[in-house]
Amino acid sequence: MDGHIFIVQTVLNCLVLGGLFFLIAIGLNIIYGISRVINIAHGSLYALGAYFGYTLVATGLNFMFALILAPLMVAIVGIVIERVILLPTRDRPMVYTLILTYGLMVFMDGLLKYIWGDQILFIHPPDFLSESLTIAGVPYPFYRFFILMATVASMASLYMLIEKTKVGIIMRAASTIPEMVYSLGIDMKLVHVGVFAFGCALAGLGGIIAGPLFTVYPMMGGEMLISCFVVLVVGGLGSIKGVTLAALLIGTVQTLGFVFITDYAMVIVYVMMALILLFMPKGILGEGKFE
Amino acid sequence: MRILELDNIHAYYGDSHVIQGLSLYVDKGEAVSIIGRNGVGKTTTLRSIMGLTPPAQGTIKINGEDSTKWTTNKVVTKGHVAYIPAERHIFPGVTVEENLRIAERKSKKNDQWNLDLIYNKFPILAERRKQDGATLSGGEQQMLAIGRGLMSNPSIMILDEPSQGLAPLIVETVVDTIKQLCKDQTLTLILVEQNYHVAMDLASRHYLMEIKGKIACDMSSQECQEDLDKLIKHLGV
Ligand SMILES: Nc1ncnc2c1ncn2[C@@H]1O[C@H](COP(=O)(O)OP(=O)(O)OP(=O)(O)O)[C@@H](O)[C@H]1O
Ligand SMILES: [Mg+2]
Repeated sequence: MDGHIFIVQTVLNCLVLGGLFFLIAIGLNIIYGISRVINIAHGSLYALGAYFGYTLVATGLNFMFALILAPLMVAIVGIVIERVILLPTRDRPMVYTLILTYGLMVFMDGLLKYIWGDQILFIHPPDFLSESLTIAGVPYPFYRFFILMATVASMASLYMLIEKTKVGIIMRAASTIPEMVYSLGIDMKLVHVGVFAFGCALAGLGGIIAGPLFTVYPMMGGEMLISCFVVLVVGGLGSIKGVTLAALLIGTVQTLGFVFITDYAMVIVYVMMALILLFMPKGILGEGKFE
Repeated sequence: MRILELDNIHAYYGDSHVIQGLSLYVDKGEAVSIIGRNGVGKTTTLRSIMGLTPPAQGTIKINGEDSTKWTTNKVVTKGHVAYIPAERHIFPGVTVEENLRIAERKSKKNDQWNLDLIYNKFPILAERRKQDGATLSGGEQQMLAIGRGLMSNPSIMILDEPSQGLAPLIVETVVDTIKQLCKDQTLTLILVEQNYHVAMDLASRHYLMEIKGKIACDMSSQECQEDLDKLIKHLGV
């Protein structure tokens, strides 16, 4: 195999997978940072985004519209989840939401199978995305490049939101002294539901983006959830920068693992997580806020 | 005119009944202090007003309206109350300017305060605007906490032990600042203090609080001066 082609493609593949991990894990992370909820059903919401995307595209909607619509639909489901199971348990210890969202995951995974069946489904991206383009003299699938651009754009807008807007200030402040945020007259109910819906939308976006790449199947949510937990542990739960770095790192390790040792790729990922847990319990940047 | 009234309130932390039937009132434009020993329930009283520890019994009225069941958010936005806790709670990892901006709200009526006016009033905050709030000194943090409270254009300002942990000279600056804010009597002040010099300097009427939020009496500053022994006995200093 041509070394140059291999290197360029592998580097891009690492970034694609890392970017996807970022999209899903960052939502989980922000929700934890502000509401102290670990949403075990986050992977199922990612799967839901993929299934919504499948149905929207299968019924003839333009993929680009589906890319906007599917995340919005997941966000609406998120709002219902927040109102029904998270709001009533807001003042209870975290185990409550752990157990409730675990139950929700089981329920949602069952529901997905019930509605869409067990078989593997395919989302067809539009023709122009199915071609390939040349990057650094190497042919590369346009769709993967598109994912890369979409995640970079999401990452940039997320950083803008967090660093430059009042919503971002509230998010940062609420992850440190939540009570003072309410004492300044900010409607925290709105912040909690907004953040949850936002995280769900990102998971849904990840789902529809991942659909054409990995196909759509019932187990996809559980697999993604595990990868996201690894990312959160490595990055430090609650740390936005740490999780961004960790997503790229795990994306890289997993991609390289599959290229070189296929069968044991995940073993390497887990060993890495265990080592980080042992020696850097607050994540690679030491910014984790796990309580 | 009564701007705030507490009528026979009871407050709990879990099973512990820390405020057992407290009543007090504050008139518009008045500056009132609550003084009492450690742990008698001063902070809890303020938390009840704010809806942070809502009373289990009794009523609270802000501007004549029953606010007992209001959320904290509503107490601030509708009741125009600003709360500055004893811990100050400056957000770490957030700049001085962002600490101020988070409390900013655009309302229709001609607001008294905005970022520029706060910087005018507290030049030290303007100087440190880009700095992480957590890196400020105690006195600067107190200024920032007051400035942040003002950003919501309150008509009632609730201050819990503003002098706590500050050097005497800094206390003087903080007291001067608060005095100036209350000068034109558009701002009503409710102050909790253990330093009775500060309390008497800032407020004109004082509630002496005993264990479990029991109000022993309410005295004017002059009565306090004449009966310093009583005051000192209360504070146990
Ligand atoms: N979060 C809490 N949980 C349980 N008990 C509490 C809590 N906060 C305060 N208390 C108790 O309630 C009582 C009143 O406390 P509060 O903080 O209102 O007193 P305080 O007068 O403000 O005291 P200080 O002068 O020390 O600030 C105390 O006995 C205190 O131990
Ligand atoms: Mg106190």
